[in-house]
Amino acid sequence: MKKELSLQTRREFLRGTVLGSALTWTLPAFLANTLSALQTEAAEKATRVVTGKDGTILVVLQMAGGNDGLNTVVPFADDHYHRARPKLGLPEAKILKLSDNVGLHPSLAGMKDLYDAGQLAVIQGVGYPNPNRSHFRSTEIWQTASDANAVESYGWLGRYFDNACAGCDPTVGVSIGGQMPQAFSARLPKSVCLQNPQNYRFMPPKRGGPEAEAEAEESFRKLNLIDSEMAENSGGSIAAIQGTVQHEGSALDFLERTALDAQMSSDEIRTIASRAENQAEYPVSQLGNSLKLVAKLIGGGLPTRVFYVSQGGYDTHANQTNTHQRLLKDLGDSMQAFVKDLNAQANLPRVLVMTFSEFGRRVAENASGGTDHGAAAPMFVVGNKIKAGLFGQYPSLAPNDLFQGDVRYNLDFRSVYATILESWLKTPSAPILGRKFPLLELV
Amino acid sequence: MLRNLAAGRWNFETAAHLLNRAGFGGPPAEIERLAGLGLEKAVAHFVEYESIPDTSENPEWAQPDPDRAEKLRSARSAPEQERREMLRAYQQTERQHMVELRRWWLQRMASGPRPLQEKMVLFWHGHFATSMEKVRDAYLMWRQNDLFRRLATGDWQQLLVAVAKDPAMLIWLDQAQSRKEHPNENFAREVMELFALGIGHYTEKDVTEAARALTGWSYSRPTQEFIERPFWHDRGQKVIFGHEGNFNGEDFLELLVARPQAARFITAKLWKFFAGAGPSDELVTSLAAEFRNADNNFKPLLRSIFSSEEFYSPNVIRNQVKSPVQWLVGSVRLLERNLPPPMVCVGLTRNLGQDLFAPPNVKGWDGGLSWITTSTLLARYNEAATLVLGDLAPMAGALGYRPNARPNLERRLQNARIGGADPERLFTEAERASTDTLVPALERRFLHAKLKPQQEKGLRDYLDQQTELTDDIVLNAVRLIKATPDYQVT
Repeated sequence: MKKELSLQTRREFLRGTVLGSALTWTLPAFLANTLSALQTEAAEKATRVVTGKDGTILVVLQMAGGNDGLNTVVPFADDHYHRARPKLGLPEAKILKLSDNVGLHPSLAGMKDLYDAGQLAVIQGVGYPNPNRSHFRSTEIWQTASDANAVESYGWLGRYFDNACAGCDPTVGVSIGGQMPQAFSARLPKSVCLQNPQNYRFMPPKRGGPEAEAEAEESFRKLNLIDSEMAENSGGSIAAIQGTVQHEGSALDFLERTALDAQMSSDEIRTIASRAENQAEYPVSQLGNSLKLVAKLIGGGLPTRVFYVSQGGYDTHANQTNTHQRLLKDLGDSMQAFVKDLNAQANLPRVLVMTFSEFGRRVAENASGGTDHGAAAPMFVVGNKIKAGLFGQYPSLAPNDLFQGDVRYNLDFRSVYATILESWLKTPSAPILGRKFPLLELV
Repeated sequence: MLRNLAAGRWNFETAAHLLNRAGFGGPPAEIERLAGLGLEKAVAHFVEYESIPDTSENPEWAQPDPDRAEKLRSARSAPEQERREMLRAYQQTERQHMVELRRWWLQRMASGPRPLQEKMVLFWHGHFATSMEKVRDAYLMWRQNDLFRRLATGDWQQLLVAVAKDPAMLIWLDQAQSRKEHPNENFAREVMELFALGIGHYTEKDVTEAARALTGWSYSRPTQEFIERPFWHDRGQKVIFGHEGNFNGEDFLELLVARPQAARFITAKLWKFFAGAGPSDELVTSLAAEFRNADNNFKPLLRSIFSSEEFYSPNVIRNQVKSPVQWLVGSVRLLERNLPPPMVCVGLTRNLGQDLFAPPNVKGWDGGLSWITTSTLLARYNEAATLVLGDLAPMAGALGYRPNARPNLERRLQNARIGGADPERLFTEAERASTDTLVPALERRFLHAKLKPQQEKGLRDYLDQQTELTDDIVLNAVRLIKATPDYQVT
């Protein structure tokens, strides 16, 4: 009985919020499973979308490959830095100074402007105990917020969706690009991936005239178990739906769920993306384009709480100077354009951007004009509701303080996550991160 | 040991499964031919491919450039403006060759005589994932691809050594620049973590010591060849995996392959690629034992896998998400149509998240369920229209943003023409006669399985609404069945 109630609620929710038409629903097997797992109470809440026009929004920006923290936030006053980096070290005169000791890479002029405007927090020396130097393992640790010696299957944002957004629409998490980040992986998966809004829909075949087109679209929906007017199946009992399950967690179940999420989000995203115009010039780059799209979706009012964008190329083992310069310029300029755009929309107060990279790089440069995998590094947090300035302590570069050539972290990245969850997304962090972490005075 | 498949279970369904996994699928007639051969001969048809002549030609530019050293010299001495011009021209040629290279390889998969060999090349490309984005030399990318083909099912250590000395790999993981003064750890780490052992089966000390052993293995730009640079090599004692010696690169790779974990790691990955589901510990133990018994050769192991009960178990069949390449090549084979023009092939696969020769990172494509997101699933549904109906609209913006903006390629994509499939090749008159005959024929060809009743009804309703099953309507139905969750698994 309870199950049917929640089914009903979910069905009404889907119908009311997304498709807005009087469809009857035959739920695919995975949804029936999902619903039996949901508390009735949570399903009731599902009829209200968690975020409206006024909710706060988190944008996560991944700097993939392991960003060289030392040459991003530069400890220019430290002799150890210049000794360890005879070729790659940046001369003090070019540094964009934030204090008497540290400053930004010369290409981060965009970030420096944000800093001066009180819109940038620089969190120094962020890492975790027993750092791992594998890209993949360390990325996994950051994405799942696990301890270095534990494996956690769901992402920290996925657990946030599970805990705080039960029943809300799949656009609660939007990843720009084709791939779903592990951070979004959840017990009850939500969130969509999006590259190009124009193509984000099923295009009915153009053959056989307009009537065949409409009929094909209807057939498509049935083939994808999206809705159904079929008398013998509509309102079918849960037992019958479960009867079609081949075995738990099959590839087909997963595909059916994704098909439903795609269809549910498709109309909404295309309408919303066409509603807002960008009001800033972005760099012509993958990151620039991604943030441009995020700004449009925010401006158009998509009820998203977390956007995820990524910038790759930071694995600078060789000939680092030019590559790093180009990447950081793209980062700073894209960020600056994004802030300007959101400001013009009057949405900046709702948005907080957080950057991260899986690790920093070795203190000493290598013989190929590059740097190898390292440990702790700085993070950036951008917004106009944050406390700007320098947070945390810059790690010591004195050879005796290093561990296997790497700096030691001063601040656990999960403190940053906890702060964002508690102070920005207004949700208790311990159920999501597994325990309490000290909070920063960031927001 | 793996159990042999019971003779009674060799039928249309199991033969289709073998064709899908050991190759790239195919139309019903081909499945029936395999079913008729019996299991042993069918498996031999794939595994013993050396006996099948392969006369396909290599791209004409796939050879070292004899004038390269001279070109590099004159470029260095040319004035700035001219040098830039030369660089631009060079990059444009490389990009063009890369587009051709993708099409060349896809064509081998789609219609070459040795499907398993190409499937193994695809496996090795995903395993030793090297990207042209850094290598920037089409000839070197072709050469690595050719290396995978030559050693596709041979000896593991021989392959590892050849890959370690492969120019594209030397560039990709910076081994080319590693010198004894400060060894570059990139290749040393990834060969243990990703290529041969897996994380947790080596120490950080092993990484730095192996990096020392590998110093001196380098790449010569003028000749486009591997080169050993004795002055860069660290001749000191090293301790790797607890063994001490004055090791060089070959010694290190020999120690690596001898690790008990090495056999488990690579055989488990191979199982996952061909069977899909992660193998149990017990199964990995059997696979590793077979591999060791065959002196670390892959061919006998593949024969065992394809003949085993486990490979044909119900949780393996039709429970693997098709990779974008499998999706494209398989679709072309099922539709009995030609492969689209080069730019369209690049656009199609890139849209779906698998750009050949440009894997996202050295770990390769994650594969499995991660091929599917809302974005890529809708792209598959729409690209079905490209292949079935010749509709290029889903290709708009397919090239996305690339670092060196390529308006040229985008324009060529827009100008491409591609026909649709031919319904007469797909169905007999009798099959096309009515909904009742067409629906089972669609299921048999495209799914080798039946749709759920409510889905099937959706398809029937569509066909029943039409006054006549014209070519257009039949093709629309084909496109619809390809735009289902069910078509995305194999």
